[in-house]
Amino acid sequence: MASIRFEKAQRWYPGADAPAVPGIDLEIRDGEFMVLVGPSGCGKSTTLRMLAGLEAVNEGKIFIGDRDITALPPKDRDIAMVFQNYALYPHMSVEDNMAFALKIAKVPAQQRKQRVREAAEMLGLTEYLQRKPKALSGGQRQRVAMGRAIVRSPQVFCMDEPLSNLDAKMRVQTRTDIAKLQSDLGTTTVYVTHDQVEAMTMGDRVAVMNVGELQQVDTPLRLYDHPDNLFVAGFIGSPQMNLMKAVAVDGKAKIGDYLVPVDPASQRKMSGKVTVGVRPEAWRLTSDGGEGLPITVTLVEDLGADSFIYGTSEVEGTPSTVIVRVSERGRIHKGDVIHVTTDPRNVHVFDTNSGERLSD
Amino acid sequence: MSAATSGVPSLRARPARHGVQPKHGVKPKHGDKPQKWGNPGVYFIALLFISVSVGPVLYIILGGFRTNSQITVSPAGLPNPWVFSNYIGVLKSVTFWGEFANSVIVGVATTAGVVVLGVMVSFALARYEFRLKGATYSLFAAGLMFPLVVAITPLFIIVKDLGLIDSLTGIIIPQIAFGLPTTVIILTPFLRAIPKDIEEAAAIDGTSRLGFFFRMAIPLALPGVITVAILAFIASWNNYILPLYVLNSQANYTLPLGVQQFSSEYSQDTARVLAFTSLSMMPALIFFGFFQRRIVGGLTGAVKG
Repeated sequence: MASIRFEKAQRWYPGADAPAVPGIDLEIRDGEFMVLVGPSGCGKSTTLRMLAGLEAVNEGKIFIGDRDITALPPKDRDIAMVFQNYALYPHMSVEDNMAFALKIAKVPAQQRKQRVREAAEMLGLTEYLQRKPKALSGGQRQRVAMGRAIVRSPQVFCMDEPLSNLDAKMRVQTRTDIAKLQSDLGTTTVYVTHDQVEAMTMGDRVAVMNVGELQQVDTPLRLYDHPDNLFVAGFIGSPQMNLMKAVAVDGKAKIGDYLVPVDPASQRKMSGKVTVGVRPEAWRLTSDGGEGLPITVTLVEDLGADSFIYGTSEVEGTPSTVIVRVSERGRIHKGDVIHVTTDPRNVHVFDTNSGERLSD
Repeated sequence: MSAATSGVPSLRARPARHGVQPKHGVKPKHGDKPQKWGNPGVYFIALLFISVSVGPVLYIILGGFRTNSQITVSPAGLPNPWVFSNYIGVLKSVTFWGEFANSVIVGVATTAGVVVLGVMVSFALARYEFRLKGATYSLFAAGLMFPLVVAITPLFIIVKDLGLIDSLTGIIIPQIAFGLPTTVIILTPFLRAIPKDIEEAAAIDGTSRLGFFFRMAIPLALPGVITVAILAFIASWNNYILPLYVLNSQANYTLPLGVQQFSSEYSQDTARVLAFTSLSMMPALIFFGFFQRRIVGGLTGAVKG
């Protein structure tokens, strides 16, 4: 078990105009489940592959514990990796797949068998040990890939979108299985995904990346409640946060005639063009019309427990979509005009140009 | 094939047999009655082709069981009575077994050389990045268009300069060289099809590049390797022109040369020549018969994940 430290680690693919990851600084604590999340091409996989030794590090350093592993080949890093396509060895049985690394490391056969059996029990694979990967379902293959990582009891697990090839139901179940397994084993884990729901539910901490740069590294709830910039605000949360352009005048943010309530910090800091972010559930319907932001309802999604209302509102002369979550159903219909407002503590103010957060 | 072609007539036949049909009955139901016989036209054409290709072989094999007079009286008849002396005579001859041994030595050595070198070349072409990689591959591909027969005179000169005239090595080395293009063309896609992920997983699990070659690439490309091995062996077994040029003494003859030699020596004894010929082509036939499914499987390619 060990902590991981990226020190300005850079990856520049040969022939590319710009580095895929210009230089990442990231500390992952011992035993932590760290999720790297971001849109495709944001460099999250590259970062993981640098850690695994599958991509060369052009500049900077990577440490596992106190060891500088920057130049070590993958096999000497004491890591295990779970791939998106599982990368099981097709010509080997499940047992041989799981035992392969131990075999290469010349672990005695008896001990090898023992460790494979333990891992198989943990993952419910005991009855499939003699099968070839071809004869397994997607979920089982995924578990074999996990098993292959577990038997080595490495210092670090690297997981590269291990759930992407599963169907929706399996994904939810395996998500909790992996999270539980990780907390039982206590192995430091770096998990890459593009799915922010996975990131939110699994990670102890989540690192949001975009265009090769870390945007924010924080606990899931902190990311949700306190996004550091516009990108994180838009990326985390589903449906996404309402981000609306506003004009700051005398410490007040105005969207058309609506005065957005903002906290004192942003009142002080904001000027000119700002973007105001409000989560769908933070809106409050105002009982008597006229007050608040007017929205023309275009679609109502009843989800049972609550409903999402999609509507348009004139923001700075252009209609923009606003999403509101309401708990009662059947009261609002398509075509209605509703008015909503919110409280200062639910409003995130960002500088439109720099994208930086202005509120507390 | 037969199921596909038989589908059409059965569709039309059904309503007539059963009288008025409910709507869903018009659809061919799979599995309620497997169609055993296909379209007779298909059978006719198939039989035509089979008889063209099998006919001569059967004639040679059966001819060996007849006497010369039987053959003269009725060239296309069946053995009556069956005569085994021709085959026994050939099987007892030292010449046949000597030539058989030569063919086996040449065949095995050629196959081993082609497979070992071919797999190595293909692995490099499939999974390494280097300059002139495309050109190298094209060079091997070009070898396909350059049959041994065309090159026989310069080849003979080279073999002579190497002092390999009248030795089996003088056949083995050129055969390996001429067997490589096919091997490389067949194996390269096989090795390329092994997912990058598997190589990376193996690297993390601790294998070196060479370890990956032996533990992953070879087992995964095995159908392809078997295919090229069989093709190389059969090509070597049937090779006539190169031994004809290179080998002088009868002690070094391979079977195709032996057949030629034997048939001119015993040109009057047709039945014996037929027996000799059929025995010399037997190993290649049996070999092909056993492995033909693997060859087809090997040529369709792809590593199953």
